[in-house]
Amino acid sequence: MKLSGGIEIGAPADQVWTLIIDPVSLSSCIPGVSHVRQIDERTFEGSITVSVGPVDGDFDFNSTLVRREFPDLEVRLEGIDSVTKSRLEATVVASLTSSDPSHTGLAYLATISVRGRLAILGEMILRATAGLIIAELTRCLQARLEGSGIGVGKTDGP
Amino acid sequence: MSIEGAFDLIVVGGGTAGCVVAARASEDPALRVLLVEAGPDPRPIPDIVADPKRQSELILKSPYVRMYDVAREDGSTFPLLSGRIMGGGSSINNLAVVRPMRRDFDAWTQFGGPVWSYDALLPLMRAIETDRDFGDSPIHGSAGPLQLHRSFKLDDPADPPVRALIEAALALGLPACPDLNVPEPYGICASPYNVENGRRQSTAVAYLDPARDRPNLTILSDTTAMRLVVNGTRVDGVELARATGPVVVRSASVVLAAGVFHSPQLLMLSGIGPSDELARHRIPVRHHLPGVGTNYQDHAVVYVTFQGTTDLREDYVIPKVRLIAKSDDTMDHPDLHVFMRPSIRMRGLPPMLPVSIHLLEHRSRGNVALQSANPTDLPVVDPALLSHPRDVRALVGGIAVASRLAAHPALAAFYGALLTPGSPDAWEEHVRTSYITYYHGVGTCRIGPAQDPGAVVDSGLRVHGMDNLWVADASVLPVIPHANTNLAAILVGEVAAQAIARA
Repeated sequence: MKLSGGIEIGAPADQVWTLIIDPVSLSSCIPGVSHVRQIDERTFEGSITVSVGPVDGDFDFNSTLVRREFPDLEVRLEGIDSVTKSRLEATVVASLTSSDPSHTGLAYLATISVRGRLAILGEMILRATAGLIIAELTRCLQARLEGSGIGVGKTDGP
Repeated sequence: MSIEGAFDLIVVGGGTAGCVVAARASEDPALRVLLVEAGPDPRPIPDIVADPKRQSELILKSPYVRMYDVAREDGSTFPLLSGRIMGGGSSINNLAVVRPMRRDFDAWTQFGGPVWSYDALLPLMRAIETDRDFGDSPIHGSAGPLQLHRSFKLDDPADPPVRALIEAALALGLPACPDLNVPEPYGICASPYNVENGRRQSTAVAYLDPARDRPNLTILSDTTAMRLVVNGTRVDGVELARATGPVVVRSASVVLAAGVFHSPQLLMLSGIGPSDELARHRIPVRHHLPGVGTNYQDHAVVYVTFQGTTDLREDYVIPKVRLIAKSDDTMDHPDLHVFMRPSIRMRGLPPMLPVSIHLLEHRSRGNVALQSANPTDLPVVDPALLSHPRDVRALVGGIAVASRLAAHPALAAFYGALLTPGSPDAWEEHVRTSYITYYHGVGTCRIGPAQDPGAVVDSGLRVHGMDNLWVADASVLPVIPHANTNLAAILVGEVAAQAIARA
C-alpha cells in the first residue's frame, strides 16, 4: 500500500528540517505513539496503541533513519503487532521544498507492507487513520515551530 | 480410523458443503461414505470457533484461517481467506444466514436449467433451516438442521446509533425489511445468524455432528487430498497424504467439495482442466476441460471512514442490522450491503467510524491457476475484482449512499465528516486502490451444458465427461449471488446429495 501527500508549514525549511530529523521530537507529534526511546543517532523504537471495536492492539516498532541529506529524508520502520503477531514494514520518503523563506512544503510517500493476519484489517485501519494522523502531525509541527498553528495547510492527502 | 477397502462415496473437503453432502449421503445405511478434510476436526469445538463474541479473535489469531495473497491492479496486495477446519467457511464466517435473491436463481437457471429456479429449490431452502422467527411462513422452514434467528428485530430497543441508523434509512426512503430472506429483500434489514444458545451452528455442528456415530460414515481430518486417480472417464479413488504417508483410497464415486480455490486445483492436479494450463506444469491431460479455474467471482468491499462525534464502544463485529441498498437510484434491484463497523480509536485523535460497502454483483471475472504440480502449494488466485468499470462506478455510488446516510440528522449525533476518502474527486481512486473482499469467492467450476466451453459441471453437478465425479461447493455457482454465500454453499451441498442419490 502506498500513502502519499504533502503538507505546508509556515516556517523556514531549516527549522522544519531540524525538527523532523529528531526522532523524539517528531514522534511526539504523531498521535498514538508512546514509549519512544532513542537507541542511537539513527535508530529509535516505540509503540502505537490502536483499538478497533472490542480489540485493543499495541504495535511495537523499530525505526531507522536510512537517509538524512537535506532536503531528503528516508525512514524505514519495522514492527510487530501484539494481537496477531503480524509484521509491518514501511519506508517513508519525505522531501522538503521551500517556496518562500517562511514557508516549507513537506511531501511524503509511504510504502507499507503487512505480512500475516494483520493484513485482513491493517490496511483499512491505516487508510482510515492516516488522514487524521497527518492533520494532527501538521498541527503539532506548526505549533512547535510557530506556536499557533496559523499558516499550516494540507496540500494533498491519502 | 480404518480406510481399508473401497468406499461408495468419498467427499473431498469437509467445508460448508462437504459436511452437508457427507451427512445427507450417509443417511443411507447401505452407502459407505468417507469424508476427508485437510484441516483439523477439534472436538469439542474450541470456544474461539464456537463463541460468536470471539469472532475477531477467530479471524485474527486462530490457526483455522488460511490466507491467499492476491494483488490489485496497482500491485498492492490483500488476502483472500478460507476456513481450514471441519465446517470450512461455516466455521469461521460471520454467521450470517442470507439466501440468494430470486434474481440469482433466475441467473443460475440460464446455465443450469429449471432445476436451479427459485421455485424448484424453495423446498430445499425450507428443508435446510429452522427459522425461529419466520418458521411458519410458507417460504421458511421449521424443521431443518440449521438453526437461525434474528437476535435483533427492527422495533427492538437498541443502542442509540443503531436506532439512529434505522431512523435515517427509513427517512431516506428505504423500506423496513424484517426478513431479508424473502425473494427480493431491500432496505434496512434485521440480520439472521446461525447461532443457537450462544454457539455457532456451522455445518460441522448442524449437519455432521448428528451423523458422526453412523457406522457407514468415516471421517478423516488433517488429511490432504493430493489428486484423483483418473481412469478414462471414471475416478477410481483419491490419493491422500496422511501422517503415515501417501495412500490411495478406492471409491465408486467421488465428490469434490474442497472450495472455490482447491476444487479446481484438485481437478487440474488430476489432469482435468485446461490443457494449456496442465501442460505448463507437465501434468498429463486426462480430460481437457477449459472452464476449470475460470469465472472466479467475489464481492468487492470498500471501507470509508467518518469522523466520530462520540466514542462508540458498541461491538458491531456481528452487526445487528444491514442495509440492502442500490448504488444507483435508477436500478430496479439492490446491489449493495452496507454496514456500520466498530469504531477505531487512537490516543490523541477523535474516534473514527468506518462503514463498509459491499458490492453484490460483478461484471469482472478472475481465475484460479496452479502454482505448481505440487498439491501442497496453494493455487494462484487472480480475483480481477473491479476490472470492469461498471463495478468501480457501483462502489463509488455506494460511497455516496453511505455519505447520504451519515449526513442524515438522525445520525449526525454520531457521524461527522467523511475522512477517508475525503472529497468525491478521490472516491474512485480510493475504490480502485483499497478494495478488499467479502470473502465470497464462487464460480471456478461452474454449472453449464456440455456444449458450453466454460462449463465444468452439468446441472446435477457431475463433471462433464466424467461418469462418477461431482463438484459440490460454491465453485459451481455460475454467477455470484446478491447475498453472503454460505447458505448458497449449503444449498449446493443439498442439491449434490440429491443428485448423487439419483445417479
